[in-house]
This record gives sequence, C-alpha cells and structure tokens, in this order.
Amino acid sequence: MRLEMGHIYIKDIQFASESKIEDGILYVSEEAVKAVALEDEHIKSVSFDIAKPGESVRITPVKDVIEPRVKVEGRGGIFPGVISKVDTVGEGKTYALKGMAVVTAGKIVGFQEGIIDMTGPGADYTPFSQTLNLVMVCEPIDGIKQHDYEKAVRFAGFRVAAYIGELARELTPDETKVYETCTIKEGLEKYPNLPRVAYVQMLQSQGLLHDTYVYGVDAKKIVPTILSPTEIMDGAIVSGNCVSACDKNPTYVHENNPVVHDLFEQHGKTINFVCQIITNENVYLADKQRSSDWTAKLCKMLDLDGVIVSQEGFGNPDTDLIMNCKKIEAEGVKTVIITDEYAGRDGKSQSLADADAAADAVVTGGNANQVIILPKLDKVIGTLDYVNKIAGASEETLREDGSLEVELQVLTGATNETGFNKLSAR
Amino acid sequence: MSQNDYIILTNNPLVFEKLADTHNVVYKDISYEELLKEVRDRIHEGHSLLSHPLSGSVKPKETPYKSVMISKRKGEVDQRSLSLIENAIQACGKFEDKTGKFEQKVYEDFQLIDWTLLDSGLASADAW
Amino acid sequence: MAKIKVVHYINQFFAQIGGEEKADYPAELRVGEVVGPGVALTQNFNDEAEIIATIICGDSYFNENLEKAKADILAMVKEQNPDVFIAGPAFNAGRYGVACGTIAAAVQEELGIPAVTGMYVENPGADMFKNQVYMISTKNSAAGMRDAVKKLAPLALKLAKGEKIGASAEEGYMPNGVRVNFFEKERGSKRAVKMLLNKLNDKPFTTEYPMPDFDRVDPNPAVKDLAHAKIALVTSGGIVPKGNPDHIESSSASHYGEYDITGVMDLTEETYETAHGGYDPVYANEDSDRVLPVDVLRDMEKEGVIGELHHLFYTTVGNGTAVASAKAFAAEFSQKLKADGVDAVILTST
Repeated sequence: MRLEMGHIYIKDIQFASESKIEDGILYVSEEAVKAVALEDEHIKSVSFDIAKPGESVRITPVKDVIEPRVKVEGRGGIFPGVISKVDTVGEGKTYALKGMAVVTAGKIVGFQEGIIDMTGPGADYTPFSQTLNLVMVCEPIDGIKQHDYEKAVRFAGFRVAAYIGELARELTPDETKVYETCTIKEGLEKYPNLPRVAYVQMLQSQGLLHDTYVYGVDAKKIVPTILSPTEIMDGAIVSGNCVSACDKNPTYVHENNPVVHDLFEQHGKTINFVCQIITNENVYLADKQRSSDWTAKLCKMLDLDGVIVSQEGFGNPDTDLIMNCKKIEAEGVKTVIITDEYAGRDGKSQSLADADAAADAVVTGGNANQVIILPKLDKVIGTLDYVNKIAGASEETLREDGSLEVELQVLTGATNETGFNKLSAR
Repeated sequence: MSQNDYIILTNNPLVFEKLADTHNVVYKDISYEELLKEVRDRIHEGHSLLSHPLSGSVKPKETPYKSVMISKRKGEVDQRSLSLIENAIQACGKFEDKTGKFEQKVYEDFQLIDWTLLDSGLASADAW
Repeated sequence: MAKIKVVHYINQFFAQIGGEEKADYPAELRVGEVVGPGVALTQNFNDEAEIIATIICGDSYFNENLEKAKADILAMVKEQNPDVFIAGPAFNAGRYGVACGTIAAAVQEELGIPAVTGMYVENPGADMFKNQVYMISTKNSAAGMRDAVKKLAPLALKLAKGEKIGASAEEGYMPNGVRVNFFEKERGSKRAVKMLLNKLNDKPFTTEYPMPDFDRVDPNPAVKDLAHAKIALVTSGGIVPKGNPDHIESSSASHYGEYDITGVMDLTEETYETAHGGYDPVYANEDSDRVLPVDVLRDMEKEGVIGELHHLFYTTVGNGTAVASAKAFAAEFSQKLKADGVDAVILTST
C-alpha cells in the first residue's frame, strides 16, 4: 500500500469569526467548533481555549490528544469506523496539520490524571508541550453515566479534529512524505536479502478509560491481526484511555506512531518492513494466552526475522509483553521490546511485574515513579480540583506556594512505551 | 466456562452488589494488598488465576478496590499463577499509600472502574 | 573559591613502591603529595580540586589485616577531612579492587564523606561493592587509565559538590540497582530500531533494562560418601526454640535464626515450635521433627548412615518472605555452612 502524507505546518492558532487556514495560521471559529462538539446530546456545554508552547499554562485532566488530518485521495476517511465509514484506509493521500493538536480535557472520574504543562520542568517530559493546543473542556449533562460521558468526550474530540482537518483539504502541503509497503510476494522479490521485520503493537483493552478502538472495534474483542502500517496514519487506531497518563497512547501517538515511522526510515535500506501486527492486553488470562500465541503464530507465518514489540500501560501488560516476547523469540524471531518502568520513587524496586530471560533487548521510557516538582502556573485549563488526588500524587501535592509534587505518572505521554520520547533510565 | 467454574474474590462492594445473586463471590472488607494475599492463599491451595491481579492502570494503594477471578477447581499449585500473584503483591510496595485521601464520590468511581475491569474478564470467561 | 579537597587511596604498585614482593606494605599517609594516578586525576579536576593527601597501602597488608588497615586508613582520612575520597582505579587487580571497594564504602558510611572508586566489571570487588559506592567501570588493565580518570574525576567533583548524579550510562559508573531517569539523544523508537538491527546482524547491543537474574540452580552432584559426610538442616518452615527467642516473623520474615542442637536428640513440644503463620501449626508444635527431622538424622548418625549432623541449624519463615530477603539470608548462612565444613544440606519447607 502506498500513502502520501502531506504535512501542513501550523505556526499559530487564533480564534476568529471564520474557520480557515491561511499562511500557516489556523483561525478557529469558536461558534463553529462548539456546534461540532455539541452535536452530542450528552454534552451540556463546551469551552475552547488555546495553549501555546512556552506559555504559563497547565492543562488538566487531559483525556486525549489528537492531530487533525484529512483524507484527500484514496479510499475511506480519517478515523474509519469512528467518524468515517469503515472502508479500509492507508492508501492514497492524507494531509496532517503538524505542530498542533486538539486536546480534550474534562473530569470523567474523580481520580483522573493527565497533565500537560506548556512551560517549566513538566514541559520537558510531556511531548504535548511542544504543540499548539486547541483545548476543549466538555461538561456533561446532569446525571450522566461515566461510560456515556467518556464516549461523548472521545467522539467530540474526533469530530472537532476532523472538522479542523477538513480546513486543509484544498491546501498545498509544505512537505510530502511517501510511505509504501509491499505485498508478501513483492517484498520477497524486491528485497530478497533484507531481514523481514514487523511491528507488534499491544493495545490497552480492559474496561472504562482503559480501552482502544481499531476501526471502531473495541480492541478487547479482536484477535491479533495485521495492518498495513500506513493505516494508522489515517486514524485506524484511536484511544479510549487516559488513566496512568504517562504511558497511555493518546490518538496523536497512534497517528504518528514512532516505531512505524522509524521502521519506514529503514524500509528498503536495512530491512523489509513487512507489516504491523496489533494485539491486545485483556484482563482475562486465557485471552492473554490466546493473543500472545497468535502474535507468535503470525510472526512465524509471515516468515519474520525480527520484530519490535511496544507495550501500553502499567502492571498486567507487563505479562502480555513478556509472553509476546518469549513466544516470538521461541519462533526464532529476534525481538526488541519497548516498555517503561515503575521502579519506585527511590528507583530501587523491581521495574516490571513480569520478566523472562528471553527479553534481552529492552528499550525503556524511564521510571514513572520519579518525583518532579511542577511550579504554579498562571493559568489552568480544565480543573485543578482533583490534581492533588491524581494518580501518582502524594499528600504534599499542593504545596504552600501552589507548586505540585508529583510523580511523572501524571504527565500525559511522559514515559510513552512506543518510544515517542527521549526519556530513558539506567 | 460456566459461572459455577470460577470464584470472584473482591473487596469492592459494587461487585458484590452486582454479582452476589448470580456468581460465586467472596467479598471481604480488606485492603487491596490483603485481597491479593487472599488470592495468593487460594493459589497455595491449588486454585489457579483466571484474571490478572494487576488488571487496570489505577495503581495499587491508589484505588482501594480489586476483584480477581480464580478457578473453582483445585489442582496442583499452578506455578504461573503463583509467580503472577507474588509479583503483583511485590508491586504494591512501589506505590505511595493514598487510601483515605479522596472524597466519597471518588471511591464510587474507583468501584466502577474495578467493576468494568472485572466485567471485561467475565465477558471472556462466559464466552466459552 | 577554595578548591575541593581530595584524599586519594592507591596500592603499593601504583605508588611505584613495588609489585607483589611489596604487597605487605602497611598503610601510609603522605600529606600534600600527589602520587601515581593522582597526577592524571589532578589534570582532570580542571583546577576545581586538589589532592591534599595520598594514602598508600599494600594489597596483601590490607586484606590480611583488614580490620586494622581499615581503622588506620579511616583515621587518616578523618584527620584530613576531605570533601571527597577517591580509591583506585583498580582495573582488574582483584585484591586491590576489594581494598578500594572496602575502604571507599567505609569512608562513605562511617565518615559520611562521599567516595568513589573504579575498576573492571569482572574485578571481584565490583560485585561486592558496586551497590554501596559509585564505581566507575574501567578497562581491564592500567592501559585504560586515561579513560578511567576522565570519568572518575568529574564524578568525584559532582559528589563533592553534592550535585545530582545522573544515570549510570551518563556518568560511567556501574549500574548499582538504582534506576535513574535521563534524556537520551534519540527517541526510544529509534533506539529500538537500532537495537533490532544489531540483534539481527549478530552485533553487540546493550539492553536498557537488564532482566532480573534468573536464579536457576543446577543440583550439585550426589554426595559420594554419605557415611563420612557432615549434614546440616535448614528450613523455611519456621522451627525455632520454644518462645521464638529471635522473634522471627510469622510472615514476611526479615531475618533468620541460627540455633545450636548439640546434644539435642529429639525436638519436643516443650522445647521447639514453629513461628510460621502460613500453615496449621498444631502438628509442627506437637513435634517439630516433622518439619526439621533432627530425630531421624540422629538415628542415622548412630547407624553410621551419615557421618554427622551439623551442630547448628538455620531457620526462617517462608510465608510471604520476599525472594530477595530469602536469597540474602541464604547467601549469608551458606558461607557459615561452608566455613564449618558442611558437605550437604537438607532443606525442608512446608
């Protein structure tokens, strides 16, 4: 499959009477985006705000981060099975608005974490301090169930992102990149001497605020399958999770999956990037067994030489990760795994909840228990109501000077397990 | 798997309320870590784990609630279950104790999340 | 600003006193002198620090007169009151490495003065002390001096100034069981791709998180001559003298007990009991031989089946006790068993 990605660089976001993109500036009609958000009857009100890199702004509790895109050529549309119809995506031409994101925030449950600081020490850890953020805070109607509220906010974010993306349809991209994968046979003929490599992505799939959707399908209910790695660039995988914010993949990370992009860099040069394999992280142990058996089986059937496996989340996914690694290695496929660590505040505890000698090549996104002091910032988008009670926070969280003493856990994307960041640990 | 083939160990009153009439539920008003130890004791007796003891991303000692599914049938001690539960108990030590720091409303949210995690496991168990 | 004061410890060889034949050289303090590797260290201090004294000690002397040597050297360091203490680097010299580790750890713990040393990863001193004191990883011979001091000097300066110490990969010290965050130059996915390419091409790569050691122990060969073997009893079943004199916990034990059974032919309800809280204690309390079979082994001793039953037994409670604690207990009492000439151990659990 061949996908042409057109990048349109956004240099600034401003509210205006009419939504448009001109000379790299995104003008947003507040009225128009509000209308898009309020299409769902579960949402009572919504407020929009803009947060720019370097500003003294804290966004919390973050639910999702989304990069606006629009499909301009080829089958299907952005976010298939969610916003667009379920047509298979991943070929043709897609435009992405680079340098910006739509951020959804709002308290769905009382212990919800997820902080993006646009400046200060926290900004070094969350990748979304570097994007111009159009932030939307949704208030639900009274008496709503958490499930419905979560779904409403999730969809509202996608609708707004799709609306913004649509503004780029007629533009000329600043930069174009082409991503192309071969069919099995083509690959064997074209790259007979290159090692066959795939990317195994584990998706969080456990329940409310712990879910991921593939073409709209709840990932709990999938068996491992293969994707063309270009599909994710059209929003084939979207996030429905946000607790343990540091190591969950917001939709932005799925769209820009760094393993996919870095494997494409080597495609045709040092490796043949065959495909992406997706699997899940269910609660039920027999599901874990089935899914890891299947990923190993797929690796074997595809005659792979090597894979990179990425994890999502804390605790039980360590078990999926180790099972996947062990079984794939047992098929003679060389494996590198990406994870993060919970080594305790002092860094002295066992980092993972599972282990195996087969996991001899590990990349880590750092220790999520590391303590960080976040200074008081001038403006809060969302609510600080619960910030002293967020995951990873301790009783000293709100200190006298208004600063927060928290663990990295609370920062959105800080210890991402797809290798999105430079943070690591030894 | 029939509902008679597994036991749910829980300290979550919501789970007890929802399942007591239809499932084998053992409810105890104990801490997260104590619940895991309760599970461990059952594993010592020969039950095996059916759901992962560290289900979910809300950290031990942050949420006070945990529900775990084990087999009703007893056999030889299942080494894999044992290592999973021991690692889970050990993991509790890594986190700051935040129990008792939230308002009542938040505990209801914790209960709900634990319930949805368990519910996803029930769906898998009941599928065969 | 006053310079940071450094005291440097080296052996007789690096002090150019002599080789093995001078290894019995006793500890000596040379105030105001920079000796051997101290010159290279000083060059790497960038004028921020100076060696105010060098302590020289023969490797044999140190190891054979451990307590005295340690006390003497500690007194010397205390008198000089430096901001930081540097020992070595010892490269692959085993006794020198152990001496550097011992004295650096002692200076840090007993005098509260930050200390750093350096040696080759396979130096026996490395495993013994790398978790107690920062230890620069060096090459296996003094040819690696230039590289070693380049890492040793800056780390010493940081320690003296009380600055934050980065991750092992940044500072060059051996991983010490404490995970430290830092920013890599490339994002994780890129590092993963590179690691995979190396793995695919059978080139060396370094994992960023070594899996915990998997302790699979192959059984020892069978004892050939049981009739002359000294057998010891060890248990995780919690058998202790009545009253549990050392207060071994009923679960998650924090220590083990060592008890003398000289002349004890049988464990009775009046004399022994179990401290274990994880099983029904009635039968063990009634007759502790059921867990720790002293009576049977005494019979075998009499019958000549075994040579003798060791006069000490070791006991702890396995109930919920962390693997790490259990390993630490065993590592300690195994040395005692070895020293006592025990040929084989019967390990009972419950």
